[in-house]
Amino acid sequence: MDEELIGIKNTALSLILESEDLESLEETKLQFLGRNGKLTLALKKITEVPVDERKEFGILANEVKQAIEEAIQSQSNKLSKRKLTRVIEKIDVTNPGIKPALGHLHLVTQAIEEITAVFAKIGFERVRYPEIEWDWYAFTALNFPQNHPARDEWETFFIDTPPDPEKGKMVLTPHTSSGQIREMEKSKPPIRMLNIAKCYRRQSDISHTPMFHQFEGLVIDQNISITHLKGTLDYFAKSYFGPKRISRIRPYHFQFTEPSFEVDVTCGVCLGKGCKLCKDGWLEMGGAGMVHPNVLIAGGIDPKQYSGFAFGWGVERVLMMKEGMQIDDLRLLYSNDLRFLKQF
Amino acid sequence: MNIKILDSWLRDYLKTEASPQKIGELLSLSSVSIERIENYGNDYIYDIEVTTNRPDLMSITGIAREAAAILPRFGIKAEFLPPKIPKVFPGENLSIKIINDPKLVNRVLAVSMDVKINPSPKIVRERLETSGIRSLNNVIDVTNYVMRIVGHPAHVFDLDRLNSKELIIREAKKEEQIETLDNKIYSLKGGEIVAENDKGEVVDLLGIMGLANSVVTDETQRILFFIDNNDPYRIRKTSMDMGIRTEAATINEKGIDPEIALEALTLGISLFEKYAQAKNVSQIVDIYPNKPVQRKITVSFDQIRRIIGVDVDDKQWTAALGMMGFITKIEKGVFEISVPSFRLSDIRNEEDVIEEIARIYGYHKLPSILPPLSQTITARSAIDRFYWESKIKQAMKYWGFTECYTYSFVSEEMFDGPIDKALKIANPLTNDYIYMRNSLVPSLLQVISDNKQTEEMALFEISNIYLKRAGGLPRENLSFAGVLKKEKADFFKLKGLIEQVLADIGVETLTFKPSTKGGSGASVFIKSEYLGEIELLDTDLVDFELDLDLILEHASNKKVFKPFAKYPPMVEDLTLNVNERINTQEIIDHVLRQSNLITAVTLKDTYKNSRTFHIIFQDLEKNLTKSDVTRLRGKIIASLAERFKADIK
Repeated sequence: MDEELIGIKNTALSLILESEDLESLEETKLQFLGRNGKLTLALKKITEVPVDERKEFGILANEVKQAIEEAIQSQSNKLSKRKLTRVIEKIDVTNPGIKPALGHLHLVTQAIEEITAVFAKIGFERVRYPEIEWDWYAFTALNFPQNHPARDEWETFFIDTPPDPEKGKMVLTPHTSSGQIREMEKSKPPIRMLNIAKCYRRQSDISHTPMFHQFEGLVIDQNISITHLKGTLDYFAKSYFGPKRISRIRPYHFQFTEPSFEVDVTCGVCLGKGCKLCKDGWLEMGGAGMVHPNVLIAGGIDPKQYSGFAFGWGVERVLMMKEGMQIDDLRLLYSNDLRFLKQF
Repeated sequence: MNIKILDSWLRDYLKTEASPQKIGELLSLSSVSIERIENYGNDYIYDIEVTTNRPDLMSITGIAREAAAILPRFGIKAEFLPPKIPKVFPGENLSIKIINDPKLVNRVLAVSMDVKINPSPKIVRERLETSGIRSLNNVIDVTNYVMRIVGHPAHVFDLDRLNSKELIIREAKKEEQIETLDNKIYSLKGGEIVAENDKGEVVDLLGIMGLANSVVTDETQRILFFIDNNDPYRIRKTSMDMGIRTEAATINEKGIDPEIALEALTLGISLFEKYAQAKNVSQIVDIYPNKPVQRKITVSFDQIRRIIGVDVDDKQWTAALGMMGFITKIEKGVFEISVPSFRLSDIRNEEDVIEEIARIYGYHKLPSILPPLSQTITARSAIDRFYWESKIKQAMKYWGFTECYTYSFVSEEMFDGPIDKALKIANPLTNDYIYMRNSLVPSLLQVISDNKQTEEMALFEISNIYLKRAGGLPRENLSFAGVLKKEKADFFKLKGLIEQVLADIGVETLTFKPSTKGGSGASVFIKSEYLGEIELLDTDLVDFELDLDLILEHASNKKVFKPFAKYPPMVEDLTLNVNERINTQEIIDHVLRQSNLITAVTLKDTYKNSRTFHIIFQDLEKNLTKSDVTRLRGKIIASLAERFKADIK
């Protein structure tokens, strides 16, 4: 009987080692260890073994079974590995990868995040104030006299509601400058505010959308001067547009700043030399100025003790300038055409 | 407002060797913005943007005066040549009596003369046309020529057509009819500044446009040359209300210095003599009730330094201020300045003077310095609401959603709910943008329908919605909305997404209840606070909208470490037959309440009426035995049977 077991073991082991794939290995396994397998049948013959030899037979049978199982396991591992190697050899790595879902953030969000990060590094805190405001915050407190023609430059939307006896009509903010007064009411100097918000003006054409975004900087502290405004503008121009770009300020007029400036940045193509794109080397970025004393007073700040500067520019404008993007109709930005959104 | 002028015309009043390009560059840096310089034969046309505070620069002499002050600051010689005004030798008294209303008009100047109507010579025509003014005939052209040189609009009547002994300036009455010189009929609102003749006929709309019944024609022989300096606010209101935006109106509404009116008149007389063979010039009538008040401003050197940021030597700017017409005086460290009449509307206080000093000194010469950090800055966390918003947006992007920016105003159809709750725009661009929205979902659904070419879409937006409040500003609430359009759009995908997005910002205690709004979907809560809805709109369309302001009140980065369990958990699956009207959440909550050894219950599978729950038992203090679990299991089954009539499969 013992010989039979040894024979089974040897046959099995050689068959196992010879098997070339997992299928034939499985067959061999069934052939020996299955319900009608050779070893299974052999073990059933234990009843034919004399009683005093049964114990030894049992031990041997177990050893044989274990040896076969181990051999199968090790051959199986070997074969699986080999199978894996074969698969790797067969793939075409130029076939498309399986991508996880990826959406898109709107260009305006991307610009806002970058602008916020640039100013955060020099201590500007981002804030948000009402988009629907009283005239007081949008105009009067910003030193716009009633009936002044400058008021019309801000083609303003009004809300159809009775005016507040003190704060006037309810308007959709035509600029982020309304946040200047809100900020002064909320916090004491030193102030370093960055107000980024939706703004609204009554115009819609290829270069205007009735809703757009501005970012407004406001710095108020003791002895803030034009040199600090220039420093901040230059820092922004270099950080946002690139280290080779510089900014300049030119005289302009706004009701809420005195002096007022128009801010230019050197063209990204010619860096200020002048080219077909920019004509004289400079691109107009937006307005800025030293906060008018009347505005400080309206915000409850003593102009004898504090001075400040402010700037307010279009998010869409600096975005277009940065990317050199030639969008022939700005309204495309807010069309939410997926063919557009998915490009960015 | 812009003014276009020919370089050769400017040089009648500005002596300099600077090229037009140089003049353009330097004026842009320190004065007005020269937007373009165009070639015009051998000449150039400047296109100059004049800001509303500087109506004095809407003239060639104004620009020449500025240039003569600015160019020397850059080392270029320049001299202002004021217009030469020949002496007038007036004859008889003016045959028409002018009666003014000082409430309406600050100064009236008038003179009559005989003229011969002809086309203007080429030089006049060219100068006017390049300046954007149509040449009509020599008489009309002289009024515009004067306006461009001196900056004060002027007018001529046909004196014979006026046919009146009086010209009375008064407020217009309501519904008075007029016919302007371009033969358009208008009905007046009342309050406009008009002039009438002795027959009670309105013959002029002052400061804006002449009228058909009194203007010069080809047959005109005698004119009344008339310069009126009006109340700018009335001019603006009339011009805007009537939609008549003439050059005269845009200048008059800015407030012109009445002092220059006499210069304009005498220059005009000499030009009529030159170009229209003017003869028999009458006495000049000058009615001048509202003379400007002179202004002196004192400025401290400390304040100059404080605003400009560096010490600027007064020798650098006093000469230029003098060239610009200011009279300056420095005595005992105090700087005093007298403002010329043509700058009175602009230079009112110390800051205005400092602006002049700073730009004369040269902004380009100032250093660029970052504002120094203050010693008293308030501590502020970097984890603010913008941090969370950004985190949510990023998460949405990486889960495949595309961000939209839709307009805050919507049409009546797109407003969610009764329209009397809407904030209405009084002056909308179109009826598509007339109400401030109270929900983002209709806008996103509009985006879905606008993108017909795309079959599957996952969109989101984070924007304010506007909720009307009695007597105050509306509540602006940040809203977070999304839509998913795809075949067999799955409610549970959106639900799971919301759970994960909010879990990522530390909000984990969401509950979902069958929608309280009646539609198919769920209402979402943080404990008892209502956040918003997930709605199944169609088999291929699911949306959600949540109150982000409320969510952010619960957002947190708080980190809590839980020690690993020392003893292994036991797990068991229970399959129940239970009425489908019973919510899964109710069953889970009920099972959890049975023992604190039951640490988690999740729905594993559903099949027809049966639901399989995966239950985890764990004791932190010791190993659970099989008999512990058997006991708990028995308790669960019994209580489910009692509570929900559920039976175990």
